[in-house]
Amino acid sequence: MSTASSGFKLSEWIFSTDHKRIGILYLIGSIAAFAVAGIMALLIRIEQSAPGPTIVSDVYTGGDQYNVWLYFHGAAMILGFLIPGLTGFAANYLLPLMIGAKDVAFPRINALSVWLFWAGIVVALMTFIVPDKPDVMWTGYPPYSVTTAGNTSLYVFTVHLMGFSSILAAVNFLVTIIYMRAPGMGWNQLNMFVWSCFTALIIQLIFVPVLASAVTLLLFDRYLGTHFFDPANGGDVLLYQNLFWFYSHPAVYVIFLPAMGIFYEIFATMAKNPIFNYKAAVYGGMCLLVAISGEVWIHHLYYSGMPDWLRLGQMVTTLLISVPVGLMTISLFGTLYKGAITFNIPMYYGTAALYLLLIGGLTGIPLALTAMSVHLGETSFTHAHFHFIMGIFATFSVFAAVDFWFPKISGRMLNVKQGKIGFWFNFIGVNITFWPLFIIGVEGMPRRYWDYSQFPAHFAGYHKVATIGAFIVAIGMVMTISNWILSAIKGEKATDNPWGSNSLEWTHTATPPGPGNFPKPVTVDANWTPYTYK
Amino acid sequence: MSKSASGHAQPHVHHWETSAAPLLIVLGILLLVVFGFVSWFSYNNILYTQICAGLGVPLLLAGIAKWTAEALTQEPVMEGLTPIALPIFIVSEVFIFLGLFISYWTMRLSAGPNWPPAGTPTDMNLVLPIIMTVILVASSLTFHVAEEKMTHNDIGGFRLWLFLSIVLGGIFLGCTIYEYSHLFHMNFKPSTNAYSTAFYSITGFHASHVVVGLGAFLTVLIAAMAGRTNKYLTFCVGLYWHFVDVVWFFVVSQIYYW
Repeated sequence: MSTASSGFKLSEWIFSTDHKRIGILYLIGSIAAFAVAGIMALLIRIEQSAPGPTIVSDVYTGGDQYNVWLYFHGAAMILGFLIPGLTGFAANYLLPLMIGAKDVAFPRINALSVWLFWAGIVVALMTFIVPDKPDVMWTGYPPYSVTTAGNTSLYVFTVHLMGFSSILAAVNFLVTIIYMRAPGMGWNQLNMFVWSCFTALIIQLIFVPVLASAVTLLLFDRYLGTHFFDPANGGDVLLYQNLFWFYSHPAVYVIFLPAMGIFYEIFATMAKNPIFNYKAAVYGGMCLLVAISGEVWIHHLYYSGMPDWLRLGQMVTTLLISVPVGLMTISLFGTLYKGAITFNIPMYYGTAALYLLLIGGLTGIPLALTAMSVHLGETSFTHAHFHFIMGIFATFSVFAAVDFWFPKISGRMLNVKQGKIGFWFNFIGVNITFWPLFIIGVEGMPRRYWDYSQFPAHFAGYHKVATIGAFIVAIGMVMTISNWILSAIKGEKATDNPWGSNSLEWTHTATPPGPGNFPKPVTVDANWTPYTYK
Repeated sequence: MSKSASGHAQPHVHHWETSAAPLLIVLGILLLVVFGFVSWFSYNNILYTQICAGLGVPLLLAGIAKWTAEALTQEPVMEGLTPIALPIFIVSEVFIFLGLFISYWTMRLSAGPNWPPAGTPTDMNLVLPIIMTVILVASSLTFHVAEEKMTHNDIGGFRLWLFLSIVLGGIFLGCTIYEYSHLFHMNFKPSTNAYSTAFYSITGFHASHVVVGLGAFLTVLIAAMAGRTNKYLTFCVGLYWHFVDVVWFFVVSQIYYW
């Protein structure tokens, strides 16, 4: 099958309202954010490779420089890479194809979303131009964010632009999923990825506005002199932390859910199995996760002070999260059971993800327990925990998604050798980076410190190992991303359905899909599911 | 695809759909709101602010005009989805206002009997909010009449009653500006105390929604002047306006009368 348009026209990209092209614009933007935020991570690691100033100028200004790196690394990775990489790129490209729709419900609003996201990237990158660089982490806690010389408004507007983009995308995709499924496609016949986006976007719709209001009040406090977070004048400094985490804890599920959705798709296709316990994973896993996601945020305030009964209640709700997550994980493992598994690059990442899920998930339990979290909470143990589950697990899901759908998106096959070598660098590198941080975290290495000369001298050795690991990861990332670019240009031509998948985006479209997606309207019957393999 | 083109029905040629409107709007927002704010508040640079606003406003207006023109002339991907999407969006708006009100309630309740805090004028005007409520409810009613006129294909009546709604909304905004300047005159500013903090933030945030609603009304009116109407668009604009109206009840009861 041929697609109508040939050749590259810039106006067909920057003015595009087609969901596939918008998805690719999301991918380009999020990979750009990922690269710059990754460089920040390297700077952080180099600085920590020895106690005392390493690459910062001196002990007096070192903290300020280090804070800027922390700010950009956190804000860009979460707001600029993970969320737009999953609910932006992957949802945009795949979701309409999976439900058999010719586009999303509101293509122009979709284009508005992607450009708002890009505007957010531009504002975030202003960090490197302005003299008063923002230095408020990705959390922007007052009173520091109100009193710092850094430019907090850039942080606030980055959140506003990305947040508005997310809200519009959520409205758009929720309507699309509810009303534009192919005739005959029932709710229990949806792809797991569609379900995971549906639930993640409900979280976006409800919780992002609360973050938007929190940072707006921060802007007022900083620039209009209001007193929302100023206890001296009747405000409440913990109010911000509550509003912030009310969104930002569920935000980890916005990342986690589509990441799981991607691995379900890959596992089912590569094992040629139906999803194990589909309904339990969807209703007991994803839907229950959304339902209780809004009741756990206070565990981020364990160290900010709260009554004991509240701490105890939060411990219970936090541990309760392992019920839906456990159901989803069981079904992920079960999907592989007795399958004839094709072990290729997406499966490499998938298998690694099972391990990351296990380590990252299990290390969350001590952090939820109030007694242990007093000891571990503000150490690099926490840092390693959330990098395993939220950072690396989710990053691997984006990589797996690009690798898995690469033939469909680009019409070409990836260079397998380079992809596999890149994977091993990534996988070995993250383990070398974060295991030492678990260990010294237990021994008391605090988070966010650039200078740890007052701590036991043997911490430096662990930090050095972690820094070496970070560079190994960097090599793997460069290999992975350059592989996409090179293979998209000169890779071997792909067939329409190289993995033999039963999902609509593989079986019913051209490679790559043209405008309007499907050559003829799609209908499915009651026996069809994306996972019906003989 | 087809064997030979002669006489055979050609397959429908698709094009990549494009629209410049979203990019124009985003550039406008970026320049006017973000860079304008940053130039003014962070760098106190009036020239940069003027340049950003001078470029941002036309881009934003051009984007909105183009968007509206396309929305009224082109076929949607699927008919009739906007009246479903807008209420979903309003859920989101509800949570923004909840965030603001929760902040206010936190300060209000933790203050205990020391409310209103020192610095608040003892003679706050409590008649004006009632008048403003009447005006806003009246504008919702006039818009309802406008919608009725449209369902009876009375485009002239639609324009007239829509125009009346815009006038009433404008008077409402005028009242806000009058009230603000009066209070500023009495040295009651956003930075004065906890009450002024909540007062200006919440009424100001509501007023910004009135501005958006009026902008939407104007867009519909201009399109109606050119003879183009769309029942879904009108419904959505009206629903948004009613929502702003409902929020105002909370503003009045919580901010002025509690």
